[in-house]
Amino acid sequence: MTTLLPIDWIIIAVYMIGCIVAGLWMRKYVRNVDDFAVAGREMDLNLGVASLAATEVGIVTIMYTAEQGFKNGLSGAIPGVLGCLAMLIVGITGFVIVPMRNAGVMTIPELFEKRFGKRVRWLAGLVIIIGGLLNMGIFLRLGGDFLMYVSGLDAKAKFAGSLLGFPVTFGYLEVMMTGLLAIVLVYTMLGGMLSVLVTDYLQFLVMGAGIVVTSVLVVWDVGWSNLINGLWDLHQMGATMVDTSLPDKSTDVTLAHPFNPVSAFGWAWVVWQAITMVAVATTWQTTIARVLAARDADTAKKIYRRTSFYYVGRFGLPGVWGIGAFLYFWHKGGLPQGMGSLTAMPAYLHTILGPGLLGLMIAAMLAAEMSTDSGYLLTWATVIYNDLISPCLRRPLSLRAKLLAVRLLVLAIGVFLVFYGLWYELPGAAWDYLAVTGNIYLASLFALLVGALYWRWTNRHGAVAAIVLGAIGPLSFIVVNLIVPKESQIPAAVAGLSAFALAFAGLIVGSLVGRALGQGQTGSSQETRQ
Amino acid sequence: MNNVLIGFWTAMVFASIAWYGYLLFHVGIKGGWDILRMARALSRRAGENETP
Repeated sequence: MTTLLPIDWIIIAVYMIGCIVAGLWMRKYVRNVDDFAVAGREMDLNLGVASLAATEVGIVTIMYTAEQGFKNGLSGAIPGVLGCLAMLIVGITGFVIVPMRNAGVMTIPELFEKRFGKRVRWLAGLVIIIGGLLNMGIFLRLGGDFLMYVSGLDAKAKFAGSLLGFPVTFGYLEVMMTGLLAIVLVYTMLGGMLSVLVTDYLQFLVMGAGIVVTSVLVVWDVGWSNLINGLWDLHQMGATMVDTSLPDKSTDVTLAHPFNPVSAFGWAWVVWQAITMVAVATTWQTTIARVLAARDADTAKKIYRRTSFYYVGRFGLPGVWGIGAFLYFWHKGGLPQGMGSLTAMPAYLHTILGPGLLGLMIAAMLAAEMSTDSGYLLTWATVIYNDLISPCLRRPLSLRAKLLAVRLLVLAIGVFLVFYGLWYELPGAAWDYLAVTGNIYLASLFALLVGALYWRWTNRHGAVAAIVLGAIGPLSFIVVNLIVPKESQIPAAVAGLSAFALAFAGLIVGSLVGRALGQGQTGSSQETRQ
Repeated sequence: MNNVLIGFWTAMVFASIAWYGYLLFHVGIKGGWDILRMARALSRRAGENETP
């Protein structure tokens, strides 16, 4: 039974109406694909910080980072520290992002065409889409789980209805998330990046307020010294809780070393995360979209520096909420039936947030979900149009037809999300799934981007080898782990590290072979940068 | 217990709360001005395009 009071509903309604009005307001400024996809390249520093921060923190982020805290204590926040360092280094040096912004392209594959030709652009676009859409596929389910648990609703509750005269049963979670996605689709389809930027700004404010208030409340509720001592004592005694979130499958969750990430995860995992974070900072298309929308390269570098420390809180603060959940349910005698490491945190928050704060929290998480969904929908639609469809057209579409095509692609991705996102059951840790699906394209394109911009011997052969080999590791992880029993599964760190190793090996060996054959090179790294 | 690591994580968590709070006000005010400037620039550009 929900415990939302009128004050909570008022906060949620005001936020939702504000977002819809702001999103629709920007529609009048969209005149071409440039305005739609990269906001006419008019984004300034602080709006860029708000947009990047809002897009990179979704409910899915809150859920998987809290799960890391629940399972690994403060060690689970190490990807945030590594992400902060990666953003800071890239923001200071301009590594990759400065030549990317100066190239004046709309997507990463477009840059590759300048150097390696249309086929490489198309192949890179395909890999980005496979990795990006699989990655985004679990956003709705996790977001829905969070909103149901934090509101005190039963995530598996259903109601009977009829569709075209046939009796059908709908899940509350599915209906709620489909409705939320529909709102995001409307303003993203109409206003593109301009609507995304303005709604991101509102969402940054609401989400930031919710995260700060909730973090203070959790620390207040548990007590910092109780949290530290409790984590250590439970780790020492090998505390284990039973996760029964998946039907007919229970998993033991044992608290790893709560302070030392190397003891908790091992060196291989930490190194993989460090490399992944550098790749994310330079290659992740939704992050790069803000670089490309920035007024100039200096603004892009400043956005990175200013946003860098945000990454520590992105993992650290929800991680503390997850730790609070572990301690709370441990003292209650374990997780209730049907609850798991992912859903424990929102259920715990429901117990400590009072009237008004619960409304703020739900508005904040709606904000987080909507800003992430809108940014990702727009980014992947732009890549599909720009890099998969556009290179195959014999003559360019009219301005109107281009805009219509991108808008229809946003809608198509939304439909895919409803079906894949709400029906897919996550087999392991959410963060590992996201990191591995992201690696399908991160490893390939990171290696290729570095080669294209900084190694003049890189050529078409090396580019194709890097893309294909880099995608093999993560794809085999997903396929093999679906088939084989748990004890024979490939560890996520092995799949991730091998993806980067294979991509760089493919780039180097392929380029050397291409050079020996005397073909494949279509431009220099200097030309690509300009 | 490793006090260095505990000190590190304690600093990270409390600095994050402070940083999020600071950005909320700083970016909140300046980001609003950025939106107005962007809207003006796009309107101006549209006006220039419509001028024969």
